[in-house]
Amino acid sequence: MASLFSLPNEVILSTLNTQFPCRNHQIRALATLLAIRGAPSRNIVLHGLYSTGKTAITKALLEKLSNTHAQNGVTNGESHDEEDQLRYAIVKSAECISGRHLLEQTIGAVAQAISWDGDIGRCENLAQLPVSIGRMMEKWIKGEEQPSKRRLVLVFDGIDQQRETPGTLFPALGRLGEIIPNLTILYIITSPRPNFLHLPGVPHIHFPTYTKPEILSIVSSLTPTPSLPSGEPDTHAVWQRFCPAVYDSLSKHSGRDILSFRTMCLTLWPQFIAPIIAGTYYPTPFSRLLVANKALFQNNSVLVPSIVAPKPPSTTKTSTNTNITKAMTGPKLPALATQLPFHTRLLLLAAYLASFNPPRTDILYFMKSATSRRRKRGGGTALTKTSAPKNRKISRKLLGAQAFVLERMLAIFRCLNADAASHKRYAQGRGGENRRVGKDGKWESEDPSGSADIYTAIATLTSLRLLIRMGSVSTGDVLEGSAKYKVAVGWEVVRGIGRSVGVEMEDYLAE
Amino acid sequence: MSEHEEDVSHAGLDSIDHQPAFIYTPRHNHNDAPIEPPAKRRKIGTGRRTTSASKSWPTLQPNPTNFEPLLRGVESEDCIMLRQELFQKCWSETDSRIQSVLEEANDDTLAEVTNLVNAPENLEISDRLPASFIVTGPNIASQGLLFKQLSTRLRVEVDGPVVVLRSGDASNLKAILKQLIRAATNQGGHDEEVLHEQDGRKLLYYDLEILRGYVRAHSHKKVVIAFQDSEGFETSLLVELITLFNSWKDRIPFVLLFGIATSVELFQERLTQSASRCIYGTQVDVEQSSVIIEKIFQKAVASSGATLRLGPTLLSTLIEQQQSYVQSVQSFIATIKYTYMCHFYGNALSVLSDTSQGFAKSVKRLQPFHFETIRMLPSFQKLVESKVEGGERIRPRELLEEDAVVLEEVEIALESKEKDILRLLRALHVFRQATNDADGGIEPYMTIFEGGLQESDYLNRMLTSIKGMAPNELIAFTGRIITAIEDGSPAMELEGWADEDQIFLSTIQDIKAKIVALQEQAEGNGTLIRSSEVINSKSMRTTVIAQRVEMARQKSSLSEAERDFISLIEKLTTLLYAYFTLGNPQDLFLHETWLCDSTDSILEVFAPKPRTAIEEALLAPNAFINCEAATDGDGPSATQPPVAILYQRYLEAGSLINMADMWSSFLEIVAGDDPEYNEREGLMLFYRGLADLKLLGMVKQSKKKTDHLAKVSWRGI
Repeated sequence: MASLFSLPNEVILSTLNTQFPCRNHQIRALATLLAIRGAPSRNIVLHGLYSTGKTAITKALLEKLSNTHAQNGVTNGESHDEEDQLRYAIVKSAECISGRHLLEQTIGAVAQAISWDGDIGRCENLAQLPVSIGRMMEKWIKGEEQPSKRRLVLVFDGIDQQRETPGTLFPALGRLGEIIPNLTILYIITSPRPNFLHLPGVPHIHFPTYTKPEILSIVSSLTPTPSLPSGEPDTHAVWQRFCPAVYDSLSKHSGRDILSFRTMCLTLWPQFIAPIIAGTYYPTPFSRLLVANKALFQNNSVLVPSIVAPKPPSTTKTSTNTNITKAMTGPKLPALATQLPFHTRLLLLAAYLASFNPPRTDILYFMKSATSRRRKRGGGTALTKTSAPKNRKISRKLLGAQAFVLERMLAIFRCLNADAASHKRYAQGRGGENRRVGKDGKWESEDPSGSADIYTAIATLTSLRLLIRMGSVSTGDVLEGSAKYKVAVGWEVVRGIGRSVGVEMEDYLAE
Repeated sequence: MSEHEEDVSHAGLDSIDHQPAFIYTPRHNHNDAPIEPPAKRRKIGTGRRTTSASKSWPTLQPNPTNFEPLLRGVESEDCIMLRQELFQKCWSETDSRIQSVLEEANDDTLAEVTNLVNAPENLEISDRLPASFIVTGPNIASQGLLFKQLSTRLRVEVDGPVVVLRSGDASNLKAILKQLIRAATNQGGHDEEVLHEQDGRKLLYYDLEILRGYVRAHSHKKVVIAFQDSEGFETSLLVELITLFNSWKDRIPFVLLFGIATSVELFQERLTQSASRCIYGTQVDVEQSSVIIEKIFQKAVASSGATLRLGPTLLSTLIEQQQSYVQSVQSFIATIKYTYMCHFYGNALSVLSDTSQGFAKSVKRLQPFHFETIRMLPSFQKLVESKVEGGERIRPRELLEEDAVVLEEVEIALESKEKDILRLLRALHVFRQATNDADGGIEPYMTIFEGGLQESDYLNRMLTSIKGMAPNELIAFTGRIITAIEDGSPAMELEGWADEDQIFLSTIQDIKAKIVALQEQAEGNGTLIRSSEVINSKSMRTTVIAQRVEMARQKSSLSEAERDFISLIEKLTTLLYAYFTLGNPQDLFLHETWLCDSTDSILEVFAPKPRTAIEEALLAPNAFINCEAATDGDGPSATQPPVAILYQRYLEAGSLINMADMWSSFLEIVAGDDPEYNEREGLMLFYRGLADLKLLGMVKQSKKKTDHLAKVSWRGI
C-alpha cells in the first residue's frame, strides 16, 4: 500500500529552483499544496506584485506535476506516481472581456484539460458553472477506480483585474471545491483583501519582490548581446559590475521590479560598451569606463519605457546614441504649435485660461474698461501682507484643470484674438509686404466670432482630446453655450503655442 | 435601401410579439444533454446585404437640363449644353489631376508602413507588440483617405486581415471587438462560414478565439489593426485593447498601427505605463497638409493645362482661410470646385473659356446678347479706352456698334490668350527656379497674376542678391535659369521651351560662359574675383598717429577681370528685369472668361456665421420679415415675433433673468395701449417665445433662484 502522504519529487523542485532562482520557498510550498499525495487544498491564493514570478512558476510547476511520464524513471518513492493524474486549466482574466466570458472560458478550459469530448453547452451565469464543471468532473473521475488519484487544478490568473465581475464571484468560486470533489482552485492576484473568499483557512503564498542581491544575482547571470570583442569572460566580468552600477544609479529609487531593471540594463549595455568597441577604453579599469559613461547613468529618461524606436540606422551611423541625445536636448517647440491653424491655437489658449483662471478674475484680465490691470505684477511692499491667510490657498496650477462653460471660453477667445491680431499687424508691418491685404479689407476685419469655423475648430480640438467634454456624452448639444469642457494640455505646451501666435500667456494667467 | 431595411426589420417579427403573456412549455431534458435556453431571435446577414445594396446605389445621371439658362432666360439651349459640357470636361480634368496628387502624396508613407509591417524583425521583438505610429498632423479629415489607401495597400501586400478601427464606431470594448472580429473574418472574399465554435462550445461574439481560429485556418502571418484616430478613443478603452492584444500575442500575430494627430509624446502620456510597456514601434511622419495643398496648387491651378485660373484675391482668401481656420486639403479642393461651378453656372461667357479644340466652335455659337454682355465687361472698356488713347477713332466706334468687329477682337484675344498665360507661367517657373523657392510658389503666382512682379519685393530681392554674388554662385544661378527653360516643369505641365525663347536663352548662356571664362582665368592667375558688392563698398582704414585715430576712406581698385564681371552682372540684371516685366493679366481683353477672382460668395459658402446670423435676425427682425421696428426709437414693437421681443429684452437682463419682470415687460410691449388686450393670448405668445429661446440654447433652468432663468449666451461672442 502506498503511503498516503509523500512530498513531490525532489528532482522537479531542483530543476524549478535553477529555472527560477531565489524562489525556493514559494516553489516548495506551492508544490506541497498542489501535489495529489501532498496536502491538496481546495483553494490556494498566490499574491505578490508585478513581475515576481507568480504566473511563470505556477505554470512551470503544474506542467511538471501533470507530466507523469517524465517522473517514471526517477521516482524517489514507490512507483505509484504514474497512476496519479493531475490536470490543470489556466484562465487568464486579462483575456476575458466580461463576467460571462470568464465563465465560458473556464468551462472551455476545463473541458480541454480533462479531454472532454462531449457537448459542453453554455455557461451563462454563476449558478451554471458548478453544474457544468461538476458534470464533466463526474464523468472524468468515474473512469478511475480510485477517485482520489485524479485532481484538477483550475488557475485564475489575475482574477482581481477581471472586468464586470459579479459580486458573488469570489465566494462562489471559494465554495466550488466543496461541491465538486478533486478540484483545486488557484487564484493569482496582486494583493488580497482580507477574507475575500469568505472562507477561513485558505492557504496564501506570498511572492515578495526581489531584493537587491536577488535581482543582481539573477540579472548578472544573463548574457548580454553584443559581447565584447575580447571574449566571453571579459563580457561577463564587465556585465557583472555593470548591473550593480545601473541598480545604484537608476533603479534604486524607481523601477525596481526585475523586468524593468532587466530591460534597462539591456538597453543601456550597447551604449555602455560602445567606447570599448570603438577602442578608446579597455574593459579592465572598470571605474574609468564608468566615468566615461557618466552621462548614461544620469539620464532619467530610460526609466520611462519609450514606445518609439529610434529611427532606422540608415539615416545616421550613431543611431544608438540618438535616442539619448534627443532626450537630453529637452523639448523643442511643440509640434502642435506649428501645425494647428491660427485660430485653433488661440482657442486652445483660451481654453487653458478658462480652465486655470478662476472666473471671478476674468473681469480683471479681460475687461476692456480697465487698462492698467492687465499686466499685474507681483511685487508689493513688505507692509502689504501682515499675516498669513487663515486657510492656505492651493495654487490653481496644482489643482489641475477645472471645467468651464463654452461661452466663457469664447469670450476669452474674443479678447485674446484682439490682442493677437494687433501683434500680427505689428509683425506684418515689420515683415514688409509678405502678407497681402484683401482688396476690400473684408478678410482682414478679423472678427471670427460667431463663425462656423470657430465651432469646427472646437470640435476638432475635442476630437483630438485636447479639450475634454465634461458630463455625460448624451446630454445636450456639443456646442451649446452651457456645455462644459476641460483643457487637457499642460503649461509647457500652452506657453509654446502662445508664443507662436504672439500671446504671452503669463500676462493673462492668474497666480 | 429603406425598403430593404424595412424588410429586414419585419423579418424578426412573429406571433409572440402580440401575445399578452408568454406561455412556458417545459421540455424534457435528457441527463447528458446540456440545458439549452431557447434560441434568441436575431438579425442574420444584414451586414453583407447592406453593403451590396450600397454598391448598387444609383449614380447620379447627368440631367441634360441641369444648368439654368442665363441672361434672363434668353440663352440658347446650345450654349447651356456647351457650358455644361465644358464644366464637366474641365472639372473632371482638374479633378483627376488633384486625385493623382492625393494618391502620390501618401505613397512614401504607405511604402514605409508596408515595409514596417512586413519586416521580419518585428517577430524578433517578442516581448512587445510591434506598432507603427503614423503622425498625420491635426488635419483629421485627411486621416480617412490615408487609412483607406493604407488598408487597400496592406490587404494586397500583407498576408493576413487588415482592420481599420475608428473612434466613432464603437464606444465599449465588446462592441469594438465584435466589429474587429467581424471585419477581420469577412476579408479575403472567402464565403465559408467562420468557425464560431470550439470543442463543441459556442464562442461569444467578442471572443478573440474566433479570430485565432480564423488566422490558424488560413495560416496568416499578420493581423493588422489600425486605429485611425487614436486620440478619439477613450483612453481606458485603448489601454484595455492594447493589454488584451498583448495577452493574445503569442497566439495571434498582431501588428498595431496608430494614427496620431498630435504627437507621439502626448499619446504616450495618455497611455498607462502598463500599456506603453506592451507596445514598441516606429514613428512614421506623413506629409503635412500644407505641402499637399502646395502640390495641388501647382497641379490644378498653376498648371499649364488648367482651363480656369484663380485670381490673386481669391487665392489669398483661400490661403488665409487655410492658415487661420481649418487646415484641410478637402476644403481646399471643395473651394476650387466651387469656383469652377460658379464660373460655369453663372457666367454666360464661360463658353469662351476652353479653346483647346479650336475656338471656332464656341465663337460660332455666340449670339447677339453675348456681344452685349461682352460690351459690359471691364476689360472691354479697357480695350476701347486703350484704342482711343492710341489715336484710333473708327475702330472703337465700330466695336461699340458692330458685333462682327467685336467678334474679330474676340478671336484675336482668344488666340493670344494661351500665349499670354504661358508666358506668365513660364516666368513663374523661371523665377521660382532662379530663387530656389521651396514654398510652392503661391505667393509669386499671386504677384504675377496681379501684374505686379516687376515692382514687387521678390524681384527686387533677387536682383540685389545677384549683385552680391560671387562668380561661383552666379554660375549656379544662371545654370538654374537655363535648366528651368530647357527642362520645363513636370509639376506644372510645362515642357521645355528652349526653341521659343532663343534670344533670352542664348544671352544667358553667353553670360554664363563669360563668367566661367573669367573664373578660369582668375584661377589661372591665382587672383580672386570679388563680388561687386564687396568692391563697391568703400573700405575704411584707421591709422593711429601720435595717439590720434585717423580715418581714411579708401576706394579699392578694380582689376580688369572684376570690371568685366561687374558689367556682366549689370547686363544680367537688366536682362532679367526685362524678362520679368510682365503684362497684367487683368488688363487683357476677355480675361473674365478664364480668370476667376471673385470672393463674394466663397466666404458666405465656406465660412458661414450661423450664430451671428441668428443674433442679427432676432435683434432686428424688421430687416428680414414684414414687421415694424419700434416707432419711438429703438426697442421691440408688438408686430415683431415674440421670440425677437423676448431676445431684445433678454439682452438687457443680467445673468439671471426674473420671469415675472420679463413677463410684465413683454405684456407691456405686446398689449401696447390697448386696454382690452387678451392677457391669455399674450401669455401664450410669451410661452412660445420662451420655448423658442430655449430651443436656440439661450436660456436654461437655474437652480440658484426660483422663477429665474439663467442666461447662457451673450451677443457677439
